Amino acid sequence: MRKLRTFENIILDLSRYWQKKGCLLYHPYNSEVGAGTFNPATFIRVLDNKPWKICYVEICKRPRDGRYAENPLRFQQFYQLQVVMQPSPTNIQRFFLESLECIGFKLKEHEVRFVEGDWDAPTLGAWGLGWEVWLDGLEITQFTYFQQAGGLDLKEIPVELSYGLERIAMLLQGVKSAFDLKWNNTLTWGEVHRQNEIEFSEYNFLAADVRLLISLFNQYETEAVRLFEKGLILPGYDHTIKCSHIFNVLEARGGISISERAKMIARVRALATQAAQLYKQKKSERNVLKEGVKQ
Amino acid sequence: MIDFLLEIGFEEFPPSFLKKSANELSGKVVNLLNQQRIFHRSVRMIYTSRRIGVLILGLTRKQKPQVVEIQGPPKKLAFDERDQPTEMLQGFMKANNLKRSQIVVRKIKKGEYVCGKKEIVGANTEDILYEEVPKILKTLEFPKTMIWTKGGTKFPRPIRWIVALLDRRPLKFEFAGVRADRHSMPNQHFSFKPIRLEKPREYINLLRHGGVVVDPNERRKLILRRIKKVVEKMEGKPLYTNEMIEEINCTTEYPEAVVVGFDEQYLNLPEEVLMTVLKAQGNLIWLKPTSRFVCVFSARKKALQNVRKGYALVVGSKLYDALFYYKNDSKQGLTRMEANTKHMMWLNGLGSLYDKASRLSDFTNFFKQIPGLNLQTLKRAARLCKVDLLSEMIREKDFTSLQGIMGGHYARASGEEEAVASAIKEHYLPKFAGDKMPSTKEGIVLSIIDKLDNVVGAFLSGNRPSGSYDPLAVRRNGYAVVHLINTNSFDITLFNAVDALLKLYKKDIEHEILFEFFTERCIRYLQDKKYRYDEINAVLARWKGDIVDARMRCAALKKMSSKAEFTKLVIGQKRVRNILKNVKGLGKVSAELFKQGAEKKLFKKGMETDGQLKTLFEARDYQKILDLLLAMRPDIDKFFDDVLVMCEDEKLKKNRLALVSLINRIFLLFGDLSRIVIEGEKN
Repeated sequence: MRKLRTFENIILDLSRYWQKKGCLLYHPYNSEVGAGTFNPATFIRVLDNKPWKICYVEICKRPRDGRYAENPLRFQQFYQLQVVMQPSPTNIQRFFLESLECIGFKLKEHEVRFVEGDWDAPTLGAWGLGWEVWLDGLEITQFTYFQQAGGLDLKEIPVELSYGLERIAMLLQGVKSAFDLKWNNTLTWGEVHRQNEIEFSEYNFLAADVRLLISLFNQYETEAVRLFEKGLILPGYDHTIKCSHIFNVLEARGGISISERAKMIARVRALATQAAQLYKQKKSERNVLKEGVKQ
Repeated sequence: MIDFLLEIGFEEFPPSFLKKSANELSGKVVNLLNQQRIFHRSVRMIYTSRRIGVLILGLTRKQKPQVVEIQGPPKKLAFDERDQPTEMLQGFMKANNLKRSQIVVRKIKKGEYVCGKKEIVGANTEDILYEEVPKILKTLEFPKTMIWTKGGTKFPRPIRWIVALLDRRPLKFEFAGVRADRHSMPNQHFSFKPIRLEKPREYINLLRHGGVVVDPNERRKLILRRIKKVVEKMEGKPLYTNEMIEEINCTTEYPEAVVVGFDEQYLNLPEEVLMTVLKAQGNLIWLKPTSRFVCVFSARKKALQNVRKGYALVVGSKLYDALFYYKNDSKQGLTRMEANTKHMMWLNGLGSLYDKASRLSDFTNFFKQIPGLNLQTLKRAARLCKVDLLSEMIREKDFTSLQGIMGGHYARASGEEEAVASAIKEHYLPKFAGDKMPSTKEGIVLSIIDKLDNVVGAFLSGNRPSGSYDPLAVRRNGYAVVHLINTNSFDITLFNAVDALLKLYKKDIEHEILFEFFTERCIRYLQDKKYRYDEINAVLARWKGDIVDARMRCAALKKMSSKAEFTKLVIGQKRVRNILKNVKGLGKVSAELFKQGAEKKLFKKGMETDGQLKTLFEARDYQKILDLLLAMRPDIDKFFDDVLVMCEDEKLKKNRLALVSLINRIFLLFGDLSRIVIEGEKN
């Protein structure tokens, strides 16, 4: 009989696989994000237009997707394995498929379908073209060639792979609910997360203080702008991420109208775009300085 | 005879324009062969989710040779008296490497000239394809492209291999950073090992072994066969359209099928919800009315068990969500949801959805004279039509497309009458060009009311469309209004409707910009109905917003425009218009100031016509109206021939201009025919 792959071993195996492909093993960001793309290790680094290979687990928060631990496939917090390779290798699709084999999927016994998915992160001013990768009908990964980030055209095109770890583990372990996933040999995903799901679902949908959140959003926005003005781009971007998460909670809470929603997205995007542009600007100034020293 | 295979291999292509792109490629290659006089026996277009190409059998190795004639000097200068070549001719022959036997005399327009007949030996097919195929690849057009390497070629998805094989020889040109060769790729579920092709004829079979059915027609048949086979002896009928099969065809290389079941409790969901869930996956076909569906997948047969388990899980989870929303929404009920619309803002500064519903409900009064309309039903439907936007189902992005439809279901469940539910259900239609139209009277009118409100609201909230900027799809809404009014022959004056709606908004805005917008939409609509732009322009010159009327006038004009006299009619009004340019302050025509017969006659004819027109306009008999206008023409001509309008006597001049202006006004009752462009005339 095949040995059962635990959740933690899947993460380890995938990480090792990408480590062998030359990726730096990194870690999640220390603030709430909706996807691994928000992590500066992706969003800021792809702006460099320089070789950059990285792999990390991201803890993703999507307040609207909470289901009080009642839906086997939907939760307000889950794990992504994020891989970024810049520039994108020509055999990246094969690398990806082989990574699935490395965690135990025999391609001959499954259907891997690349479903057209134009990826667009409106709050980051980022978009790319690629696919949702479905394994036996289940979306397990986003596969994207970035074209723009922070409203800027990218030159060295990075490819981003975002594995949905719970779904992959469910297929591998043959369980119908993420809550039944074996995290290790003694604990399940549900035992680790159930209470978190229930309490945060209630918080996101019912208990969150709309007024406080709106006020925090405004304050973090002001702070981000102030930091940008001081040339503190990464701290400014950090506050941009906070705004983005607060927006997500507000949206789940139903506290904002349709038009207000569009406006808040635009406000976050404005911050993210500003961060990207200032980062580029500072980089090029620094390069000029360096060149000057060399001469 | 030799064969040619061209295959562009890429990562999975967007299905919506795969077939079109494959068509373009094979069409352009065939064109090239024809232009280059390369004979070929058969052409097979190829596409799968990961490749487009063309397989051409029976080509000639060389172009067909061609005889060209090079023109030389005139015959007179080419030969001397003894009929021997002059120095000039000799020079020409030398320069073009011609022998005496190749020289002929040709008679052309300018006279007799000598020509050199030269046979050009056909170039090698190989050389031509090597040169021209990469050029063709550069000219392919796609709705959306990307780059995948720095400064690289744009294409819908990254190109990973190219096969260009002419018989046994690869044409090693380069495109998008890839060198063409003789290696194709199998389906990834089968192997990653390239397939080496010795010659094009092996292609179809070798690829089949590699898990790829390259011929789209063969694959389509295979899909249908597979579906038929798995549903044999099963209850229910597979519910699919040709479009669905083609979409599947564009996302597979090697189709297999399996039947998957879901929990019977989900059959309690409205059919539209079930269909939405299945359709979102792209490759699922419902076995109506059972709790089973067919999944067409692209992998090895061995994958069947896993595929069945996987799709059961995915669809089950989505149906679980749907039922969760549906139950919650039904429990909450329409009344609670309606109360919540007060907290849901609509457009910036224009109040809540509740306010919008109130406005729509008030606005229904404007339409009350439409025959057969139940105003009470319409008002109730207007009140409730946006309520489902507050439901959990519609707030979930997978189901947003069911707005209106869910509103109808929830209305029915809350005990609203059927006609109200239907009107709510239909009021978003038509959603796009060529979409279904609402069928009930209340549904039609509610659709018009809502879309008018969307347009006016957009203008009031600073969302006016301009250029490619139209975030609220205002143009589509405006177009649909025109379309709905016209197809249902409603006697509605659009501009009055806009004014009535603006009154309800209690907001100040120049209504002209809205009139302009709708006029422009009406022009577009009539153009789509195949009326000429200048004719539409003529009709809409003095338009008040009656769409049906405008359409009838256009129809009459179109009929008339094929007649010979039509040009005369237009020129008549053009003359009238020209002379009135920059003329102001004209009084009434006084008959006693007439000096010439032509003046009196034209005046009489004008008054007579004017009198007759009244009843004809009431009857909207535009054919007759145009006939009458046309009948004024001889008198107009005579007037301009005999009478000097711009004479020295100020009084006479003013009176004559007043007469011309009177005639002009009569024309304008129909439209401004001077806007029609007459062929051969500069306007």
